[in-house]
Amino acid sequence: MKLDHIDLTILEMLKKDARISLREIAREMKISADTVSNRVEKLTQQGIILSSTVILDTSKIGYAFITRFGINVKPAYAAQVLEKIIKIPSVIIASKVVGSNDLVALSVVKNFHHLCSLRDTILEMPYVENVDLGMWINTMEICPHYFLI
Amino acid sequence: MSEINIDALDVKILRLLQGDARKPFQEIAQQTGVSTDTIKNRFHQMTKTGLLRGTTIVVDPKKIDQNHVVSIGVQVTNPYAEQVLNLIKKIPGMYVVTRSVGRYDIEAIAILKDIEQISTVKNTIADFQQVQNVDIEIWVDKPLLCPKNFEFEENHA
Repeated sequence: MKLDHIDLTILEMLKKDARISLREIAREMKISADTVSNRVEKLTQQGIILSSTVILDTSKIGYAFITRFGINVKPAYAAQVLEKIIKIPSVIIASKVVGSNDLVALSVVKNFHHLCSLRDTILEMPYVENVDLGMWINTMEICPHYFLI
Repeated sequence: MSEINIDALDVKILRLLQGDARKPFQEIAQQTGVSTDTIKNRFHQMTKTGLLRGTTIVVDPKKIDQNHVVSIGVQVTNPYAEQVLNLIKKIPGMYVVTRSVGRYDIEAIAILKDIEQISTVKNTIADFQQVQNVDIEIWVDKPLLCPKNFEFEENHA
């Protein structure tokens, strides 16, 4: 899909602040508010803008760190397990992957006890063969605005 | 790590905004049964304490030019992790770069255009001194994002 300069600028501005008013975007870009609202509608219809959400600093409410779970499953069951994993309340993103694991999930974690229970929850799911984990420390976010937590 | 208190109203506001960050304060007020000013104050308060770092739109990277989300795991000779991390941070396309405990010393997530770029990034990292091994995983299909589902509880620290 080809996006022009106007589309890209609108996306950038909304990424930085989803609550910005369309009028303000129009003013800053020196184009009409109608143009902005048409473009936003089009970007939404085409599925380029999927939704909008808040970025939270979860360390402020008791989540100490992020952990990556690398999960191996029985062939052909990846999609099924993925559906279950994404429903774990502290998991923020999960995907099928091609590489040494079949699935990857990122979760915010409160403490080691929580970490162990998450690992057990995943391991106990049918068709899950192995769970490998990496605990992220001193997480450096280059683009906090793009990383959804 | 200083924890802050959030009450049931804060949680309600955040849950509504998780699903639609553009929801007008007035609507949130109606749905929670408090005044628009209260919502405004809570929003600003949560921003001030740093719990609410901002709002953003979720974009499908496949529909724009950037096509692949890639996880990168790097093993580094002790004690050079910090030094290597600083080099990786400078590579274009990096989204998150972090120290890690587990199989890898450094983990990163990047959004890259194509297989050539993935290979270039992998080789760039492998060429850094003190790097022992680089593993790459390419995310396929649409990743399931769940800022909407992410559940937090009220908390009286």
